[in-house]
Formats: sequence, C-alpha cells, structure tokens
Amino acid sequence: MKLLAIIFKKELRDMLRDRRTLFFMIIMPFLVIFLIFNLSMRLGMDMEKRAQEKELCVAVFSAEPLPDFSKLLQGSEKVKIDTTVDKKEIDQAVRNGRLDFAVSFAADFSETVDRDGTGDVQVYYKASTSENELALERIRKVMEKYKQQLLERRLQKKSLAAAFVEPLKIVEKDVSTIREKMGQRLGGMFPYFFVIFCFLGAMYPAIDLAAGEKERGTMETLLVSPASRLQIVTGKFLVVTASGIFTALSSVLWLYIVFRQSRMLPTEVLGVILKLIEWKSLLLLFSMIIPLCAFFAAILLSVSVFAKSYKEAQSIIAPLNIMIIIPVLIGIFPGIKLNAITALIPILNISLATKEIIAGTIPPMLMAEVFLVLFALAAVGLVFCTHWFNREEVIFRGV
Amino acid sequence: MIVVENLTKTFRLSKEQKKEKVAHARGNRVDAVADVCFCCKPGRIFSLLGPNGAGKTTALRLIATMLRPSSGRIAVAGFDTVKEAGQVRRHIGFLTGSTGLYERLTPTEMIDYYGRLHGMEPALLARRKGELFRLLGIEEFAGRRIGKLSSGMKQKVSIARTMIHDPQVLVFDEPTVGLDVITAKSILQLIRQCRTDGKTVIFSTHIMGEVSLLSDDLAIIHRGRLLYNDTYEAYTRGMKAKSLEDEFIRRVEEA
Repeated sequence: MKLLAIIFKKELRDMLRDRRTLFFMIIMPFLVIFLIFNLSMRLGMDMEKRAQEKELCVAVFSAEPLPDFSKLLQGSEKVKIDTTVDKKEIDQAVRNGRLDFAVSFAADFSETVDRDGTGDVQVYYKASTSENELALERIRKVMEKYKQQLLERRLQKKSLAAAFVEPLKIVEKDVSTIREKMGQRLGGMFPYFFVIFCFLGAMYPAIDLAAGEKERGTMETLLVSPASRLQIVTGKFLVVTASGIFTALSSVLWLYIVFRQSRMLPTEVLGVILKLIEWKSLLLLFSMIIPLCAFFAAILLSVSVFAKSYKEAQSIIAPLNIMIIIPVLIGIFPGIKLNAITALIPILNISLATKEIIAGTIPPMLMAEVFLVLFALAAVGLVFCTHWFNREEVIFRGV
Repeated sequence: MIVVENLTKTFRLSKEQKKEKVAHARGNRVDAVADVCFCCKPGRIFSLLGPNGAGKTTALRLIATMLRPSSGRIAVAGFDTVKEAGQVRRHIGFLTGSTGLYERLTPTEMIDYYGRLHGMEPALLARRKGELFRLLGIEEFAGRRIGKLSSGMKQKVSIARTMIHDPQVLVFDEPTVGLDVITAKSILQLIRQCRTDGKTVIFSTHIMGEVSLLSDDLAIIHRGRLLYNDTYEAYTRGMKAKSLEDEFIRRVEEA
C-alpha cells in the first residue's frame, strides 16, 4: 500500500504539471459548455427575433377579390402585399426570395365555400430557410383567422351555435410534474457532457502515463524499482480515474455556473432548472461517474501501454471518442427507456439513468443494476489492464 | 554477484522482424539469448560486448527482472530473478543511455521518488541524496524542472537515480550512447568508482575504447550465444588480430 501511495502521489503531481491535461480538465469543459450554450441560445433567439421582425412579402392570387382575407392580411404586422408577381411565376419568385409567401386560392374557391364546400388554398414558401419556417407561423395565424370567419358565417346562416362543430371539448391534463418533464429533456443533455468529459479527462493522462513513459524511457526504470507491476498499474489507473472524475465534475460545475450566470434564459425556466439539480441527484450522478471513469481508465491505459509511442496511442484512442458518443446519442432517442436490458449496456445505461435520476423517477432496482454493471466493468477493466501490463510483448512492444 | 546459468530467452517474431528475416530465427521464434552462462563478481567490471541485436539488452533486462527467462536461472546478490524479483530490484541499479527522466519533476523530486520506492528512511534518503548531489554537482539545479536541463545535467540526475539506494549490483546498458565526450567520461569515472567501492558491475557496449578502459572480465555475445567469456587479460593475451576492435570483428565473423 505504501508503494502504491508513493506511485499515486508522484503520478498525480506529474499529471497536474502537464498543461495539456490541465487544459482538458478545466479549460476545455468551460469553453465547450460556454460556447455550446451561448451560441445555441443566441443563434436560436436571434433567428426567432428576425423571423418575428421580418417584413414578409406576400402575394395573394384568387379568381375573385377576397376582401375579408385581404383585410386580415393587411391588418397583420409587418406584412407587405406584392401585386407585381404573375401567378405563373409563383414557384420561381418564392424560390429566389422575391416573395416570402404566396397564397393561391383555387379558381372556384368562393363558389365552393358558398356551397358550404371546402375551398382549396395553397401556401407557397421555402422551408429550407429556417427563418421562413418560423415566419410560417405568422401566415398560419392569418389563415386560421380567415377560416374561423368563414366558419362563423356558415353557422350563422344555418342558425347553429359554435358548439355544433365542436361536439368534443378535450381538456388535456398532464399529471407529470415540471421536474419529470424537464428531467427528460435536461437529463438527455447531461450525459453528453459528463460522459464525454470523463473520457477526454482520462485520455491524455492515460496516454502520457503509459505510452508517454515507454517513449521517454521512464517505464524501464520504473519496472526495475521494487514496485510490483500491480502497484505500478494501480497507481496509474487511480490517477487516470481521478482525472476523468475531476473533468466530469468540472463540466457539471461549469454547466451550473453557465446556467446560473445566463441572462438569456427566462427567470422561471432558470428557477426550475436549478431546482432540479438537487444534492440527492448530484450524489447519484457522481456515484455513477466513479465506475464509469474507472472503466474508461482501464480501457485507455490498456490501449496506451500497447502503443509503441504517444502518437500511436493518440491515433488508436481518437476513434474511441466516436464509439463513446454513439450510446449517448441512442439514449436521447425518444421511446428508449431504462429497463433490465438497456441497464446492461454500458454508457447507454448511464445516459438513460441520468434522465431518470434528474426526473426523480429512477426505479431503485434498475439503479442497482446500472451500478452493478458499471462496477463489474470497471473491475474487469482493471484486471485486464493489469494482465496486459504483465505481458512482456505488450510492455516492451517497440521498446 | 550475478550468476547466469544456461539462460535462454525466446521471443515470438513481430511482423517487422519477419520481414527483416532475422538470421538466427527458428520459424516464428527467435532465441534472443541462448544457453548463456557467466558470472560477474563483486569489485570487478564485467563487459558484455556484441554487435547491434546480439542480445545484450535482452540479457541485461533479464538480469534486471524486466523480462522472465524462457529457461535457465539468474541470481543477483543471491536472489533468484523470478522467485525473488522484488528483492533483486532492491539490490540493483539500472542505467541505460536512453534512460528517461520525468521532465515535469525536479531532480530533488525525482530522486526522492526513487528513494521512497526503495523504502529508504527519510533521514537516510536526505543524507544519501546530499552526498550524490554534491558528488555529481546537481545541487545548483536541484530545484529546476528536469525538462529544462541540458543532456549532461539530465545524465547526472539519471546516475543519482541509479545510485540513490546504494545498490550492490549495477547494470549499465550502453550508458554512453548519444552522450557528449565530457558526460561520457564522467560516466566511465563513475563506473570505475563503483568497482573501487566493491560493487558488482555489468555493462554492455560496442565501443572498444570503453572496454579497454574498464573491463576486468569480458564476454562477447553474438546472435544470442556467447562466443567468449573470460578475463580481459586473457582476451588481450590471446588476440590474433592487431587491435581489440579487429579481434572482436574476427571472432564475430568466425562464428
């Protein structure tokens, strides 16, 4: 134990003096979270603002004048009616941006509506422009109002009450709490950060402490010291695990700070989010991070010690990043729930369990299963890593 | 004392080695060291000579417990390298020309680390470190990060690391490779000092000048097998060629 403590202390000191590792542990999570949060929020808000404030150029085509519709359209804010475009040019005019929208009523529209039929109306727009997609809502509102006017007129003519066309009044009552609803959304985003940062935080120390040592020639001298291979590998393993945990925690902390400092989120939304992050949830998340980081540390160290050089280790480990992201992404898909089967799949189980933890709906048995799977993987990983360190052809590969 | 008896180490050939067609390979395998016997005595310097790829480094790694023999036995300071590897490592100091140091540590931290790994008491460690730092002139840069030191300074730190626990047996694997003349000379002086102090010293090289300066006993290894094993004096007496170097080449070519 004494030798293990000596190795751990030295490796920790060495790691904390590595600028690249420190960057990945502290600065990188902040930069990524700050940029993702601020950029996505700002872009989203700016786009919505532009869509709301944009003066829409709309052309209306009908066989006969439709004064009620024209009145409604002119009454809408920031709408300019274009009368210069020919009906044959609708497609082209919308495509090249001369028109934002074109509303084309069928030739027999008035006649059909007067006969209590359904008149056809076509709305042309270019959905490939995100702004237009948002502005479409403004046009939809006008169309809805016009539809309502026509319907009211029809009902009056037949002396019918509005309830005639609405035999059902559906009131939807969602019994889920705000925490449950937000938990499913926010909980899907959380694993993105801490799973990826667990991996990134463990990656550089693992490369440095195994492949780096081989390359620099320090591994040989360490192997001639009285420390056993098990003590050497365990010391390194603990430091790499600690680095992954620290980086994951740093990402969660930055996430909290960025949320808290944000002026872009409405106060009530922010209040709900901050309430969701309670100590019990954080402790549960933290307890999942420990075996996850241990599992990553074992894999990364095994790969790293196999590599001949720092560069080779980097090139082997880089594709693993993508393999880590895939299960996290699957966890975000709707309909995929934490159950006895999904709880067995590493990383995916963390992704799904996080959602349930934040929503406060995780069944204790499934939580226990997730823990069991993660700890078992971490233990198997450490055993494999130690076995790998003991193999001469691995430790002296390329030395 | 180092006693090597019928030592053999067999490796599986890598893809690159298969392409290179290693001369003494047997199918997919090669005996890096084959049935080697020698003995290094205290107070004497044993030189292990051989061309590149002869098996020198493998033999030294086997002595230092980094590798396990395929067959045969090695005893270092009376301890078996397989059954008592931990004890062997406590009694051995290992230095190579390519020995690396932890560049983000200072010489003081580096030496403290290895001293503690060898289980040295803090007072003894401080005293021994002080002596070595004075002897090697490390004091003036003891607090600077190793990454910022010159190659000569780094080699001094490497020597201090090798000697900190005052080992009975010292293994030097081509210790002067890539070093400048001044640093190489200081290493050779140190090796001689070790002999004076009664240590068992084994060093590998292919530089004949070093052999003539240091050797008490000498062995030549080629393709894993020993071609010669006797005293340096006997080697020079029995020379058929004009120089040490020519004699070495003659023996290797005849093998």
